[in-house]
Amino acid sequence: MGDPRVTIARRELATLRSEKTIVLALLIQLFIAAFSSFLVVGLVSLYDPGSVEGFETEVAVTGDASDDLLATLDDRPSISGTRYVSETTARAAFDRGEVDAILLADRRAGRVFVSATVPDGNVRTTVIVVQLRDALSAFERVERADRSASLSSTPLSLPPRSGASPYYGFSYTVLLPLLCFLPVFISGSMTVDSLTEEVDRGTLELLRVAPVSVVDIVDGKVWAAAGLAPAQAALWIALLDFNGTSIHHPVAVLVVVAALAVLVVTLGATIALLAPDRRAAQFLYSVGVLVAFGGATLLPVNPVNSVARLAVDSVGPTYPLLVAGYVALGVAAYLGLRRAVPRIGVGE
Amino acid sequence: MTASSPSDRLDRLRDGLRAVARIARWEVGRTAGVVDRRTAALGLVALLLAGAVGGATLATGGAALDRDVYRIGVATDSPYHEVVRESPALAARDADLESLGRSVEVVVRGDRFYVADSRKAEAALSTFRSAVRRHNLERMGAERNVSAAFPVVVTLQYVDRGGGPGSAADAGGTTDTEDGPSSATDADGTADTEDGPGSAADADDGDGNQGTDDGTAGSSDSGDGFAAGGGSGSLGVPFLGGDLLGGGDSGSPADISPPFPFGALVLAFVFFVPMNFVIQPYGSSILNERINRRGELLLVAPVSPAAIVAGKTLPYLATLVGLTAVIAVAIGGGVTSVAAVAPIATLYLAATFVGGMFARSFKELTFVTVAISVFLTSYAFVPAIFTNVTPIALISPLTLVVHDLQGTGVTAAQYVFSTGPFYVGAAVLFTLGVGVYREEDMFTQRPVPLKFLDALDSRIARPRSMAVLSALSIPFVFIAELLAIAVLFVLPVDVSIPLLLLVVAGVEEVAKSLHVYAGFENDFADRRGLRTALVLGSLSGFGFFLGEKLTAVVQFVGLPDLALGQAAFTPVGVGSAAALGLLLAPLVLHATTTSIAALGASRSRNWYLAALVPATLVHAAYNFAVVSALG
Repeated sequence: MGDPRVTIARRELATLRSEKTIVLALLIQLFIAAFSSFLVVGLVSLYDPGSVEGFETEVAVTGDASDDLLATLDDRPSISGTRYVSETTARAAFDRGEVDAILLADRRAGRVFVSATVPDGNVRTTVIVVQLRDALSAFERVERADRSASLSSTPLSLPPRSGASPYYGFSYTVLLPLLCFLPVFISGSMTVDSLTEEVDRGTLELLRVAPVSVVDIVDGKVWAAAGLAPAQAALWIALLDFNGTSIHHPVAVLVVVAALAVLVVTLGATIALLAPDRRAAQFLYSVGVLVAFGGATLLPVNPVNSVARLAVDSVGPTYPLLVAGYVALGVAAYLGLRRAVPRIGVGE
Repeated sequence: MTASSPSDRLDRLRDGLRAVARIARWEVGRTAGVVDRRTAALGLVALLLAGAVGGATLATGGAALDRDVYRIGVATDSPYHEVVRESPALAARDADLESLGRSVEVVVRGDRFYVADSRKAEAALSTFRSAVRRHNLERMGAERNVSAAFPVVVTLQYVDRGGGPGSAADAGGTTDTEDGPSSATDADGTADTEDGPGSAADADDGDGNQGTDDGTAGSSDSGDGFAAGGGSGSLGVPFLGGDLLGGGDSGSPADISPPFPFGALVLAFVFFVPMNFVIQPYGSSILNERINRRGELLLVAPVSPAAIVAGKTLPYLATLVGLTAVIAVAIGGGVTSVAAVAPIATLYLAATFVGGMFARSFKELTFVTVAISVFLTSYAFVPAIFTNVTPIALISPLTLVVHDLQGTGVTAAQYVFSTGPFYVGAAVLFTLGVGVYREEDMFTQRPVPLKFLDALDSRIARPRSMAVLSALSIPFVFIAELLAIAVLFVLPVDVSIPLLLLVVAGVEEVAKSLHVYAGFENDFADRRGLRTALVLGSLSGFGFFLGEKLTAVVQFVGLPDLALGQAAFTPVGVGSAAALGLLLAPLVLHATTTSIAALGASRSRNWYLAALVPATLVHAAYNFAVVSALG
């Protein structure tokens, strides 16, 4: 048998395999990814009428500004307006279900007052409201242009509409970081469990009788856990790539994930050695990771953003420097732990 | 337990309760005992840091995860430069057409926009467009002449189609509206209203538009619409009434927003934070009993396993309910919030208890608790997003919390409908877990599936138990099917619908036959005949049928307008209400398919798994026929 640390790392991975917990871990990650996608797809289709195809809102328009309003509505593909002579007839049509909304537009005091009536409480309400908002915003721009003489500055003209997928940004800035960092957090939690369980079952004592030092034991556990995270991240990157979300600097992303895995696993190991009861250790670890990652997102350079920018290829030629920074952080933490372990005094 | 006189029973009950209280005290003392000085100091530091980070996040308005993801080439003297600088997702680069597509996605030259040919560039352009729109609105907000900057004023109202003006409360409750010109329309007393341009209009211009019906609409709104909501329908003045009482959002067109309870949802999420922390020590405590046979002493004591479990759970449940009450007070929730969150907390603990009973090591327990957190959080959270949109949202108790925070009422029927599955689910899980709270299961290292079968088996005494277990599986089937819908939602419809029907059939078949298999592995191991299989299968199918029908009845009584929910979750029962023959069709189906699975289960595991395939296919075919027959 070669290095005892490798043996310990192997044993760690073997228990994972025998308990098939790693399958559960992958399932959890897949579920989170699927669910967050579901959330985003659902929300986007609710709030971006362009993505709801084949749904045209019929609007009854009435009031003394209805001609101008109708002119704007005619230009919009997803909404069509019909003129009604009075509010009563419009309301009757609304009640019969012939129109989805009523717009009562009146000019008063140099402004147009639009009173919009939409049906209450169904899924379409959301779509109708969003379509009305967009149409009325366009109407507002027209009306504003008519009054530009009274304005001190003119609004900037909008860049052209694009057929961009609303999920593009989400895939890189939320989904990929989520899939990259979940394994990291799980690895850290695993280290906490592994060490506290050895202490609890008294097997750490047995291990110490064997010709290995505590540093070796901790090393083996850190290696096993920290090695798992980039492996899982690589799997997700490959799957995302297969699914059409190409990841631009996969190696750099994996190096960042590996470096952060070492950092987080080291944090877990340190906490587990300092507070060897699992209840306290897990609580401290969760709070610690939350603080570390939550705090990091306040910084201009944070892991989530770095991974997103690497993957979407929005980093300059100096990106190896960024990656090196994370590696330095991870290595420093790991070396610090190795120095600290003999002093903490485990299991005494 | 034999029959005994009432006083005997009362005594035993009192003894039992005393035992529970004693164990609960012991559990609290032991948990406090593990916190030594070093741990306490670490915990204090961690909590202080968490507070600091939380405060910093609040102060800076959160983090920009998409910082500088898109690069826009824009000269520093261009008016668009400021837009790019203000938007976190955009990074300003030199307006160099040469680098288009390599180091910039969009280049602005004067009034022209050059866009690289890639999906990223399209996304960048789209982000840029919304940034410009936002920038324009901000600039207009600073204009002195408000009526020229915001020439259109919108008042939005939600009206029940065909009925009188109603549901003022519903619409008025939305949180993230901004006060528009008729700033009196402040129907929503909730947190984050912002003064829009319009309230300045009333002050600055003073050109008399307060006297218009907009102004009156607003003022009466804040009175009536808020107070009752329901009583507004009695006025019976169709149009004017709608105008007066239909609580709505108003302001510039950009200010109106769909009825999305964003603020209330975020607040409701706060309730979940303590749960995820509390189930960690609870799971550890359960698993600790099983390490090195520590729990043996308790087991040999003259208390029932149920009392031990109740005693060990009580402190954690009390902590959670207490924390929930504190949070409710802090964020402005009422008794309804606490009453709605309590069943969620109970189910969290119940699932963790079963996880602690099944897990072989701390590592496994961690994965189990993470899975529990993820599944339950999403199950509770996702439907609540649709609180103001559809009554199906009520399948999650969190919807009740959102209603409570918005100030819209909750009826008793809604409460029962929302929390019922959680109570039943928690009770079933505790029952299963207590079933394996015995020496031969606690201190042995067996794979989780075998333990699960043992737990099921501990509840099987006679053939009738099959029907009971089937019926009790309904809440879990319900949850699994909802999750399946959520996950398959992203696929195209012509793939997802057949796949969904297949998954639903599979889930129901497994739920109906798993305990039959467990029974054949243990109690009925010596009666593996054809007749037993058919009897057990039919009974199990019958129990499931009864449970399903009961659920449908509850839905129908509690929420008459929830036809869509029934269609989504119990496709078997949909078309069957019409005739008795059709009513019996699902019964025949459940009995048949479960009998098929039971036949397989009576032979071996592989046979059982193989038999699940035809059972699922028959079930799916039936579902498909029903769905297509309904159009």
